[in-house]
Order: sequence, then structure tokens, then C-alpha cells
Amino acid sequence: MTNMTDPTDPMAPTEFTDVVTHEAHAALDDQIDARLKQVRRRRIPKFGVLFGATFLTVLLTLTIFADFLPFIRSADTAVRIDGKLMSNYKLGPGWDAWWGTDGNGFDVFARCIYYARYTLWIGLSSTAIGIFVGGALGMVAGYFRGKTDRVISILVDCLLAIPALVLAIMLVRRLDDIKLDYTWLGWMTRMWQIILTLSILAVAPLARIVRAQTMALREREFVLAARSLGSSNLRILFREILPNLVPTMVTVAATGLGILIAAEGALAFLGLGLETSWGFMINANRTRLEKAWWATVFPCLMLFLTVLSFNLIGDRLARRFDIREAAV
Amino acid sequence: MRYFLQRFLQLLLVFVLVTFSVLVVMRMGSPDAQTLAIKLAGRPLTPAESQSLIDTYSLDRNFFFQYLNWLKNLVFHFDLGFSPQNGLPVAELLKPRVWTTILLGLYANVFGLLIAIPLAVNQAYRRDRLFDKAGNLATFVAVGIPGIVLGVFLKLIFVVNLEWFPSIGDKIYPWDDLSLHFQNFFLPALTLTIPVAAIYTRLLRADMVMTLQSDFITLASAKGVPPGRVVWKHGLRNSLFSLVTAVGTQLGALIGAAVLVESLFDLDGLGSQLVVSVLSSDLFTVQSFVAIIVLIVVVVNLIVDLSYALIDPRIRQARALG
Repeated sequence: MTNMTDPTDPMAPTEFTDVVTHEAHAALDDQIDARLKQVRRRRIPKFGVLFGATFLTVLLTLTIFADFLPFIRSADTAVRIDGKLMSNYKLGPGWDAWWGTDGNGFDVFARCIYYARYTLWIGLSSTAIGIFVGGALGMVAGYFRGKTDRVISILVDCLLAIPALVLAIMLVRRLDDIKLDYTWLGWMTRMWQIILTLSILAVAPLARIVRAQTMALREREFVLAARSLGSSNLRILFREILPNLVPTMVTVAATGLGILIAAEGALAFLGLGLETSWGFMINANRTRLEKAWWATVFPCLMLFLTVLSFNLIGDRLARRFDIREAAV
Repeated sequence: MRYFLQRFLQLLLVFVLVTFSVLVVMRMGSPDAQTLAIKLAGRPLTPAESQSLIDTYSLDRNFFFQYLNWLKNLVFHFDLGFSPQNGLPVAELLKPRVWTTILLGLYANVFGLLIAIPLAVNQAYRRDRLFDKAGNLATFVAVGIPGIVLGVFLKLIFVVNLEWFPSIGDKIYPWDDLSLHFQNFFLPALTLTIPVAAIYTRLLRADMVMTLQSDFITLASAKGVPPGRVVWKHGLRNSLFSLVTAVGTQLGALIGAAVLVESLFDLDGLGSQLVVSVLSSDLFTVQSFVAIIVLIVVVVNLIVDLSYALIDPRIRQARALG
């Protein structure tokens, strides 16, 4: 477009210049308009990620301020209406108890909201530990290569050779016993056992992805430049490579959070998790599915929507940063 | 050949390291051999009993010797150990339950592939059209849905509302009674199949989209090869790489899912037995269980590695050169 109307061009048809520039301007304006529209459209996130973010924000707000919100009952006192205990699934979903009551007369909605605290805290802290350890292992393996890489790769292979859930139930149960034998493990509650176990599960996949990315990054020009300027390995790892790994880590963390929360639910379902967990509610009420579907279905729904939300956000981030490993 | 040997040794190392770590985790935290024997048995023992246990499994030596003893029994006598809590050798405990889990895994993989391949090929062929978008949405949800949630929802629909299937599972094998087997295994198998099929579909679709953009596909179409043949023969064969890898890597997830599904549908299989053994601290059984699972995972991964070469001659060549 522009070289056609270049005024310095001696060969340009002078007579029609005005018309041409006018048309060109119009065309250019159209183009800019289209581009702006595109940009604006892109700024509105897709429905999926919008849903995920909204759901998580609402859930987080409700669960943090649950004690102060008038419409959420206490999770530990049974519902009484006109002095009568609403136990044995007496109340279905309705105005008195939004999601009904369970076998002991507790409000299912209140329990679902309160227990989100434990689930989210376990998910977040085990992801954080997993990122820290897995990221460090992956960076070291991918950057130094050679023997370090071999050792770490074998370690990762070992962790991946045991199915995650099998490893989890085995470790949580054994930690029950082991902490009795070692006094310095006295601080370890069931919650920390689960966090520790889940973070071990998170280490291997993270280390793998970070290692692959680090291996690609270390060949890049800016690393070479830093090295020829005399930067130490530590400086290159932290100042050159780590910032470039952040998008990957954030993406994998979002998807991984969903997986870990599902794993936490599974552990509680099998009787190896917390009793204050959606998984435990599902297991406790599932035999009464016929009589009182609400006591099982609503915790299921919460678990499903939470995992789905993290997956949606993770998927969006993976597309945004073009990370293929996290996509599937 | 060198590559496979290297890979074999690597996987052997993984097996040994994992089983050794499992043994240490199972047996750590006992000050002396007597306590360890009591813990392994899960009940108080007479001195003679505990002495025989200590002698059989060399519990008075360090973990390394205990491991060698365990490995020796496993390799030379196929002895998986004894489950004192059930009063049975571990092998006897596992044998009646093996087929439940194998059948479930088989169904999940076979039906997963039967759903995934046509779906993914059609999605890739009609890329970005409505069919593809609907398929993407469905598989995205199916990949992420937690196993328990899917199982409970299926149970709610098919058992509670439609009353098509019994609410408590019974392990009846196809060679006993086919229709009863179908009634008992359909829902657990479906719960396992849906995520597996979704993952396979996503992987195959992504590969297939790439393949269909290659020059040789354009050439084949230009040459006048019918579209069905181009897609199913030329396209599919060159897109199987990730799918074959996934069959290997998904195995672990599948075993984990089987643990859940068997417990949820009350099917008596290896998974539900594992949960029972873990909960009752039956350390011998758990240790042997995990060893078998790791062995299966390692062997399947080796087979997957070998099968790359069968699918794609380029890999064979590249590996031969490297």
C-alpha cells in the first residue's frame, strides 16, 4: 500500500495521487479498524476461561468469608428446624437447606463450601512444593546435562513407574505409622501427609517439562551472550533461564492443580484423606444415592467444577504461551 | 540394538530402585527385628513364630540384604511373600482377582481405541468445523473429569434412574456367564473407557492434523487416491506415534483409575484388594503388589519403545544411526 503512494517516487502517477492516497487511507483505516476489533475481541477471554475464573473467584470468596456470610450455616452443627433434627437426609434441596441435609443432618451446601478450604489449601501448597522441587531438578538436569541429568532422569522415571494413586495411598498410610516412630515428625498431621504425598506426585511431571524447556533455552543466544560476558552458571540459571520458564511453570501449575485436587478427592474417597473433604462426603453418602442423591451429587459437582475450572485456565494459558506438553 | 539394550538396562535399574525404595518405605521405623516381624505380621507373635519370620526374610540384616532376599525369592521361586493377615501366600490372594483388573484394563484400552480412532480421524479431516469443535469440547471435559465424579454420575443415571444394572458389582467372568458379566462390568469399564478414549482422541487428532498438512498427503490426493484411503491409510499410519506412546504412559493412570473404579462399583479386583491391604497395613502384600504393578508398567513401556520401530521405519533408522 505505502510504496504505491510514496510521494518521492518519480514514477508515481501524479494526477491520480490524491485519489489513490485517499483510497489507500480508507483501506488502511479499514485495516486498522479490523485489527483493533481483533485486538479488542482477543482481550475478552473465551467463555471457558471466564467461567473457570468466575467459579474459582466465587468459591474462594465464599470459602474464605464463610464464617461471616449469613446464608452459610456452620458445617459442624446439625440443621434444626422448629427444634427438630433434620438428620437421615430429611431435607432435600430447597429453601431451608439449599443442597439438602446429609445422614447426620448437616447442611450439604455449608459443608461443600467449608471443605473447599482444605481442598484448595492442599492443592495450592502441594503444587507450590512440586514447582519448587520439580522446577529445581528439571533446571539443573536440563542445564548441566551429563551425569547430573542421568541421575535426575532415572529418579523421575522411578517416580513415574509407580501409578500416582497407588503411590499416594501407600505413602499416606505409611506416613501414619512412620511418624509415630520418629519424634521429629510430630508436627505432621494428616493434612501435611497429604500435601507431602501430592507434592511428590507433582515433582516428576514438572521436572520433565522444565528439563525439556531448559535444554532448549540453554542453546539460545542470550544464554551464550551471558556466558561470554562471564556470568556464572548460577546467574545464568536464575537471571536468564528462570524468567523464561515462568510461563511454562504457571501453565503446568494450573493444570496440575486440577489433577492434584482430583487426587485429593480420590484419596479421601478411599478413606486415606481428610474427613473434611468432598471425596469423603461422596464416599460417606454414595450408598444412599437412591434415597438422597443430593448428598453425593453436590460434592461431586463441586469437585468436578473446581477441577474443570483449573483445566480451563490451564488450557487457555497453554494456548497463550504455546506449550504443547501441558495441552493434553 | 544398542539402543534397546541401553533402554532395557535403564528400565531394569528403575525396577530395582523402585522396588528397593518400596521395601524401605514399607519396613522403616522399627528399632529391631522383632518389632518389624510383628509389624509385618500385623498381630502379636510367639517368639518361635517371629524367629521363623526373621529367618525366612532375613529381617535382622540391613535393608539391602532384606531386599536381596526378597528379590531372590521372587526371581528363583516366584515367591511373592506371605500375607499373614489373610493367612495366605500373596500369590493366592491375587490369583482370583487378577482377571477383574486385566479385563477392565483391556476393555478400557480396546473400546478407548475403537472410539478414539474414528473420532480423531474424522475430527482431523473436518478440522475447525462444527463436528471438530464439538468433539474437542467433549474430549476436553472427559479428560479432566475426576474418576469418582464420572463413576457416581454414571451410577446415578444407569443404576438409580434407569435401573439397568445391579447396584453392587459381582465379579462374573465372560467364560462363566456372558450377560451377567456384561451387567456387572459395563459401568466400571465405561467409567475407565471415557477418559482413556478422550486422551487418545486428543493426541491422535493433534498428530493427524499435522500429518494431513504434509506434502505426501497433498501428493497422494493430487495423484487421485480416494480421500478415504488418503486419510485412513496414508494419514493414520503416520500419526500413530503419540497414540502408541500414550498407551504406555496411560497404563499407570489406568491402574490408578482401576483402584478407584473397583472400589466405587464394589468389584473385587486387584485395585480394591490393594486399598484393603493398604488400609490394614498388610505390608507384605502391598510391597508385592507394587512390585508387580511396577513390573507391568516397565515391561509395557519397553514394548512401546520396541513398537515405535515397527510403526515408523524412520525411527528405526535414526536409532540405528544414533
